[in-house]
Amino acid sequence: MVFVFCFTVKHSILATRCSVRGKVLSNIFQYRTGSSRVTNNVTDNLTDWETLSKKKKISKAMKAYLERAKEHDEFMKKQHFEFNVGKRHLANMMGEDPETFTQKDIDRAIEYLFPSGIYDPAARPLMRSPEEVYPARKAAEFDEAGRPHHFLFYTGKASFFKVLYDAAENIQELQKFEDKVIRKKASPDPNNSLKLEGSVWFTKEQLEKTLVETIEDIEYTNFKNVMERLVSLPYSYRCKDFIEQFRKPLTTQRFALEIPKPNYDEDGRAFITTYECLRKKARGDVTIKSPGTGNISINGKDITYFEDIQSREQVIFPLIFTGMQDRVDVVCNIEGGGPSGQAGAIRWGIAWSLRSFVEKDMLEKMQVAGLLTRDHRRRERKKPGQPGARKKPTWKKR
Amino acid sequence: MISRSFNRHPLKLGFTFRRHNSTAPAQLQETTSEDVTPLKINPLEHPDYFQVHNLFTVKDLFDARVHCGHKEGSLNDYMRPYLYGSRLGHLMFDLDITAKHLRRALNFTAHIAYRGGIICFFNRNALNCHTVEKTAKECGEYAHTRFWRGGIFTNANHQFGAVTRLPDLCIFLNTQNNILNQHTAVRDSAKMLIPTIGIVDTNCNPNLITYPVPGNDDTPVAIELYCKLFKEAILRGKAERVKFLQENA
Repeated sequence: MVFVFCFTVKHSILATRCSVRGKVLSNIFQYRTGSSRVTNNVTDNLTDWETLSKKKKISKAMKAYLERAKEHDEFMKKQHFEFNVGKRHLANMMGEDPETFTQKDIDRAIEYLFPSGIYDPAARPLMRSPEEVYPARKAAEFDEAGRPHHFLFYTGKASFFKVLYDAAENIQELQKFEDKVIRKKASPDPNNSLKLEGSVWFTKEQLEKTLVETIEDIEYTNFKNVMERLVSLPYSYRCKDFIEQFRKPLTTQRFALEIPKPNYDEDGRAFITTYECLRKKARGDVTIKSPGTGNISINGKDITYFEDIQSREQVIFPLIFTGMQDRVDVVCNIEGGGPSGQAGAIRWGIAWSLRSFVEKDMLEKMQVAGLLTRDHRRRERKKPGQPGARKKPTWKKR
Repeated sequence: MISRSFNRHPLKLGFTFRRHNSTAPAQLQETTSEDVTPLKINPLEHPDYFQVHNLFTVKDLFDARVHCGHKEGSLNDYMRPYLYGSRLGHLMFDLDITAKHLRRALNFTAHIAYRGGIICFFNRNALNCHTVEKTAKECGEYAHTRFWRGGIFTNANHQFGAVTRLPDLCIFLNTQNNILNQHTAVRDSAKMLIPTIGIVDTNCNPNLITYPVPGNDDTPVAIELYCKLFKEAILRGKAERVKFLQENA
């Protein structure tokens, strides 16, 4: 048991890193394909002077790489062996067949045998196959003669500087094209111009993720400056593909998946019930029925359930905002808390249910108005030594 | 060697006309005819195996404004031997000397390329950065025109996370980081025994550079000319290499 536990803890530390390294590997392969595309010249493949004397000598760099690769293979073999032993052990403990013990069974067994309440799931005990846990090895970035594949390899951030290089290349090409157009006495076609309103530049983190390289702040600023410069050119639409590689669309399909389809009752009316409408200490459920006449029923009473105007306003606000006040009926059950908490809970419940009955652009407006945002604020506790949460005793100097 | 150094200082006036077309040593023209003979020549023993002397003339250098230096006040004393004089407070290079140095540098570059060496171009001037990177890409070599993180050469195994082959030749199209400091890679190359070629302007120090070429290192036209010449030399070296490989396959 101890054995398995150590095994799993060791793995759990490394487990979070494996997914990142997988991308590193794919990126390296991109390099390799990229470089072979760029340097299709015969001369580049014949780089090793030793090949001239027909004695195929391998460079120091490649030798070191091969050594490391061999070491890694042996290590992985050992880890595999240990993993299989651990798996069988676990299967025996659980009284199951070791041959058909899958990863799902392992997870279940670990959860059962080592229950952990640690908050971060990544820190809980875990047992995975070594491929998932240990980072994939970097493929060699150079050939047998030790020549790097990428022409900016020595900068240390080859793919980032390649982006800047490509941007500069595009800028020069566009300027040349513009000169040509001017010589022909033509002007840019306004219909063709680039439309970038719906998207933003990659953030630094996103760019780092796509390039699989760490970037300094100043380098990110340089990147943005270069790209802005490229976009500002009149014929920038000609390198639209390049620009859009580094832009992220603003509008997301946020609501498409979540919005539930309405159910139908025996009268054929569509209805949606939202449970767990919470605000402060109040909780309840809200049912919206469509079509309706604007009846509101709160715990069996109408809107006068709330005595003060503010709470009543709160309740009808989403209906008025969407213009549905005469078209739907609202039934709610609410308990706990005071009038403002209850009104807030109902307000959120109504807005949340109305999503199924309104248009998409209205949904955006509701989002902007804050109707679909839960208010998680709770009562703040009273502090000792003072009369309230924040209130202090009256202060007198003497 | 003796005859070459003789040609460097042509004292007779009648010789000057010839110089303007080419500063190539007179002896070289004779050896080219030998090249045709089937006799095997050792490239290392040949004074100009890749014929780099015909890549440019002094006129080309002049047209590309290679002769223009900085102002008198910024002169580095080590650059004094390469000067022709001063015009309106600006120093001028003697292009005959420059041509000689440039040919030697080009010859060396071609030899390195012939031997399959890694050649890395350096330049810290943002104006010429793209030209240099493009040149490196076109001749299948490497470029570093960005901020130099310390230790790329001197601590390479740590910087790149593995044993890494360093360049076999560094070509500096300007040797300064800014007007005050020398590029750290010049020093680091010297430390790592990597031969260097550097275009040194009147305000630069040529001492740590293996093959200094006195000339203008700021003007884009001049940089374009250097890039063109180095690219051509590298391609000649590589073409020769392919020929050699095919013959000895």
